[in-house]
Amino acid sequence: MAIPGSGIFTGMGVTLRNLFRPKVTRQYPEERPNIPDRWRGRLDLIYDPFGEHKCEVCFQCAQVCPVEAIDMSGFDSEGNRIRYGLPEIYDERKDPNAYRRAGLDAQPMRNAARWQEAVDDAWVDALVDGYGGRPESLVAIFGAIETKYGYLPEPALRRISDRMTIHWAQVFGAAGLGGFRLLPAEGHLVTVCSCAACRFAGGDKVLAALEEELGVHAGEVTDDGAFTLEADANVGAGAIAPAVRIDTLVYGPVTVDEARHLIYARRADASRGRRRTASA
Amino acid sequence: MDQGTIDLILGLGRFVVATTLLLLLTVPTAFIVIQMEIKIIAQMQLRYGPNRVGPRGIFQSTIHGFKFLAKEDQTPDRADVPTFTIAPWMVFMAAAMSMLVVPFAPGLVAFDSTIGVIYFFAIIGLSVVGLLIAGWASYNKYSLLGGLRSAAQMVSYEIPLTLSIVGVVVLTGSLSFTEIVQWQQEHGWAFIWQLVGFPIFLIAAAAEINRAPFDMIEADSEIVAGPFTEYSGMRFGFFFFAEYVALFIMSAILVTLFLGGYLAPWPFPATLDGFVGTLYGLFWFFAKTYFFVFVAVWVRATLPRVRVDQLMGASWKVLLPLALINLFVTAIVVLAFNL
Repeated sequence: MAIPGSGIFTGMGVTLRNLFRPKVTRQYPEERPNIPDRWRGRLDLIYDPFGEHKCEVCFQCAQVCPVEAIDMSGFDSEGNRIRYGLPEIYDERKDPNAYRRAGLDAQPMRNAARWQEAVDDAWVDALVDGYGGRPESLVAIFGAIETKYGYLPEPALRRISDRMTIHWAQVFGAAGLGGFRLLPAEGHLVTVCSCAACRFAGGDKVLAALEEELGVHAGEVTDDGAFTLEADANVGAGAIAPAVRIDTLVYGPVTVDEARHLIYARRADASRGRRRTASA
Repeated sequence: MDQGTIDLILGLGRFVVATTLLLLLTVPTAFIVIQMEIKIIAQMQLRYGPNRVGPRGIFQSTIHGFKFLAKEDQTPDRADVPTFTIAPWMVFMAAAMSMLVVPFAPGLVAFDSTIGVIYFFAIIGLSVVGLLIAGWASYNKYSLLGGLRSAAQMVSYEIPLTLSIVGVVVLTGSLSFTEIVQWQQEHGWAFIWQLVGFPIFLIAAAAEINRAPFDMIEADSEIVAGPFTEYSGMRFGFFFFAEYVALFIMSAILVTLFLGGYLAPWPFPATLDGFVGTLYGLFWFFAKTYFFVFVAVWVRATLPRVRVDQLMGASWKVLLPLALINLFVTAIVVLAFNL
């Protein structure tokens, strides 16, 4: 490599060798790759720059698993126990067994009675058969069940899976992605952080705005039961003060207008008819 | 009719036939060179390249060429229409007409001029004018800058290019391509005598015809397509053709000046004469010429392009002094040994 310009000839040697090497192009319409029937794409658990797994317990792998081999549970960013399902039901799925496996004290389940509500299996079967058992009618079936029960009870979903011989993961995924309620609604719990940092950053104004918006004081429930407003110092998000937590999601820093918009967004969801309160 | 008039008519007829044939030759030449370019570069990049049009894609470049005919030919609103129209014609004719003096085979030369070398470099230099007026007439700043850049590049490289072949001219004592080839038949191929002049010609020729790694005339990120920016349809096609015909011509001239033209690598068999001899000469001429076309494609597949300042520096600071030294040494040797 001592001679200046000799790199040119090295490079030309490389290209000349490549001229005679086998080509890597796959002639697609004529040559097709051999993809096994059960292949659903490759799942990678990659690491973030801090060396932590990027797995966020999003259950997408469980949903695509063709033999439903994957079930998982974990903790979301706030330490809430989560199981197979979507963010909206995370804390409802804190079943005693999961707590015990995680080495925590078992806590009574919210809505335990409704979650295990017995459904009219014969009615579900008739409904499924009425749509011919076709997978594309899932959304319509969900709609009918939600009209009857106010949400999609898990036993009903299991029944649909059995009756239509569709994978449970697919039924559950379709229910979640379709925007249906998977548990009876109890309304949203809106918590405005009352820690020193948040109050200093304007938390009081946010609280006042939300009180005005919802028409209730802190610690009260709105008339329709859709919102519960409270002030608590445990939101624990000092860096994003002032913080507002709605159910399990923490927002911040929140301005007065943004806080109002958070409420508007949830009211809009409710008015679409999918997110009824339990009493409706 | 006296003998003079008959000679004149015959000469004119021969000239018309020869130029027509050469113009017709440019079309398959351009198609073959473009096909080599797309296929060889593809293979060097481990691809197959176009392989749908015709068996193994051999008609891809032909389809490319005829596609230009079907495209709309646009002229910018504020373009200088006469010069805008004449520019592609000039560039193409400069390339096509310089073929006139190239001896393809023994006796097969359109215009056996005693000043063929001067004619060749005068005509091929006209393409600079074509590119410059193309850039100017387009009324587009990128075109203008591209035209100026190509003019600067080609004028700079014309000097070492011309000086590098003066060595051959001094050696052979002739400005006629036919006589230069005949001299090589007696004394061996000229590149053996011109070990410095040959690489200088090779490099300067690549720059002169805007080949990689000196293809500065089109630079998407800097000057869009240079002087071709505003051209479309068959006018752009002419530039495109001219570029590849020029590559063929430069290879042909390189072969003729330094590598024995239509001569075989071994002594030319005296028994081969007439038509067979012509075919034999044609074979070696095209084989060697297309080998250097292949080399140009090979270089394009390998080397990244140089910067503009490196381009100019290489011409004025390296190639020009080398070419001058080469010329002086050649002249001294010719004088000293009375070659």
